[in-house]
Order: sequence, then structure tokens, then C-alpha cells
Amino acid sequence: MTKLLLTPENQIQRLNHFLNYVEDVKRESYDVLSFRPNSTSWNVLEVLEHLRISHSLYKSNIDIALNELTQNSEVPWQYRPSLWTRLVLKGQRPKGNKRPFKIKTLKRFEPLLNENVTHDTSNRVFDGFFEAHHQLKQAIIDSRTKIIAHKKIPSAIGPIVKFHLPEAFEFLICHAERHKVQMDEIVASYH
Amino acid sequence: MDTNQLLKSVFKDISFTPEEEEEFVSLWHEFSFRQYELITEAGRIEKYFYVVVDGVQAIYLLNKKGEKVVLGFSYSGSPSGVFDSFIHQKPADTFLEALKPSRMLGILKKDYHALFDQHPKFYKWGHYFFQEILFGRLFREVELLTLSAEERYKAFMSRCPEELKVIPQKYLASYLDMKPETFSRLRASVHF
Repeated sequence: MTKLLLTPENQIQRLNHFLNYVEDVKRESYDVLSFRPNSTSWNVLEVLEHLRISHSLYKSNIDIALNELTQNSEVPWQYRPSLWTRLVLKGQRPKGNKRPFKIKTLKRFEPLLNENVTHDTSNRVFDGFFEAHHQLKQAIIDSRTKIIAHKKIPSAIGPIVKFHLPEAFEFLICHAERHKVQMDEIVASYH
Repeated sequence: MDTNQLLKSVFKDISFTPEEEEEFVSLWHEFSFRQYELITEAGRIEKYFYVVVDGVQAIYLLNKKGEKVVLGFSYSGSPSGVFDSFIHQKPADTFLEALKPSRMLGILKKDYHALFDQHPKFYKWGHYFFQEILFGRLFREVELLTLSAEERYKAFMSRCPEELKVIPQKYLASYLDMKPETFSRLRASVHF
């Protein structure tokens, strides 16, 4: 844990794998995408919508920070997060196919899809998800050659937690990886 | 060297009629990349087989710690790209990054394959091209397994083009499988 090294390349690679995964999920039938394993759990579309909402709560702060940061002529950044942030990240990142522990979703992150989702809803959810996550990847790419260490942005967790940009990127990716495990579980329970 | 001459030098054993040459050259698209721009990302499919007009590029993957492990370089006049991803059209395991501002010519997979279909002489070119890559990789493996850090440094610096010597040390150090501090010490103390 003390050796956790964040790099934009590692984040881009993991984000690409996640985007490829969602491209595969998109090929599942509508029945699978709208399937809920039980009455209180989300379906795949709701998970994806939740990820879009989560990104949207960071997007403007990321964009502002990127505009304020100066260009670096040295090699792309590497970043070692603080102990506190490492703990926050550890709480998000899945271990293999297991989520560390369940976290109650705050109201503002709820996907709020209607009970009867349609094919149009499905297309809108996927379009929104891909748009948001391509924006996230572009933000990571844009940050690579900037001096990132001194700039913090508010997290969406609460006012106590603030992230440096690499930490915010890492949090969103770990969060997506966490929900990938959930989507795997939903699809497996359908089949 | 203009782009036509560059392509001719890379495919030097292939003779074209004027019409064939015009069509061949038209298949190549020119791209410019800023310093440190990612030309190909791990997890994405390589779209092009490149020939480098100018600049230096590194191909690398990430180890479990997230550190870059440099596998090789391309530079002015050499072919470039993530060939396994290009050939199999599967997501790349490696990154291709411009270490210096770069101009490159790229050909799409469908056009690359059409060259082989329409001109059987490309099979001979392909045979020698991939043979050279294989021998290069074997030679590098032998060096990594048998030479000391100082010997690897000397061997590399004595044969590498000048434009490779000015890229960031950490990329060269990784390629030679040594720490940047070791590379820096060797650069200061070893003459070749």
C-alpha cells in the first residue's frame, strides 16, 4: 500500500479496459441489461447511470483545475497519494472479484431511472456513460504534461475529503472497477 | 528526405511501375504528434503501421507497480507501431509514445493487407521485415541475460542513433534494465 504509484498511463490503460468491458456489456440483450437480481438492487443500466452521475460531480472541478495548471516540460507526472487518500482508494478498489465492503449510496448519486426502462433509455444511458468516460480519459491525457502536485479539488464524498487531480482520477476509476464487479454479479445471476 | 523517398527506402526491394507507386504512396497518411503524446494507448487497437519521418518514439508496457518497462524505440526512417495489436486487431498491451515531436506516415490495416494481395513481392518484404524484428529481439534478450549494466550501456550507446541519446534518461535506463541513477552514473563515468 505504501508503494502505490499513480501514473496517467496506468489510469488510461485501466479506463480503456473498462470501456472495452462496457462495449461488451452493451451487446447483452435488453432483458439482461434491465434485469434486477432482487427488488432492492440496481440493474446494469442503473449502475452505468450511477457512474455517469458520479463523474458529472467531478467534471467541472477537474476542468477548472486543468485550465489553471501550467504546462510541464519534463516527463509525464507520477504521483504517490497521501496515507488518507490511500485508505479512501483502498475502500473503493475491488480485490479480484470482491468489493471490499458495501457502501450505502448517497441520494445525489442515485441513478433515478424509471421502473420501466425502455430501449431509448438504454441507448441514452450508454451514450451518457461513454461521453462521460471519454471526457474523463481526455482529462487524464490533458493532465499528463501539466504540473499537478499543488492543485486540490473538492471530492464528491464530502467537504473533508479533497483530492489532488491524480487522486480524483484514481478514485473515479477505482469506483468504476468496483461497479464492474457488481455488473458481473448482475449478469451472472441472470444467466 | 521527402516522404516518397522515405517509403522507397523502407520498402527498398520492391519495384513499382509509376502508376503502382502513385497508388502505394496515396495509401499513407501523415500524422504529427507532440512530445509525450500517446500515439497508441494500451487497451486500444492499433490502427496503423507507421514509418517514422522524424522524431523518436518509445514502446513500453506497465509492470505491476505501474512503472514503465521500455521494450524498444523507433526513430527517423524506421518502422513503428504496436505490430501485434495491428496484425490481430486486438487491444494493445503496450503504449507507443512520442518522446520528441514526431511526424509519421501510417497505413491502415485494410490497405496494408491489400498491398500483400495485390503485390506478392510484399510477402518477401514481410518475411525479411519480421525476420529482422525477431533477430533484433533475440539479440536484445542475449544482451540482457549475459552483459553487465556497464556492458549493456556501452553496447547500446555505441550503436544507437544520435537522436536516441537525447531522450529522457529514464526511458533509456528502463530499456537497458537499470535504475535511472545507474544510467546517470554510467553516463558520467563511462566512455565508449
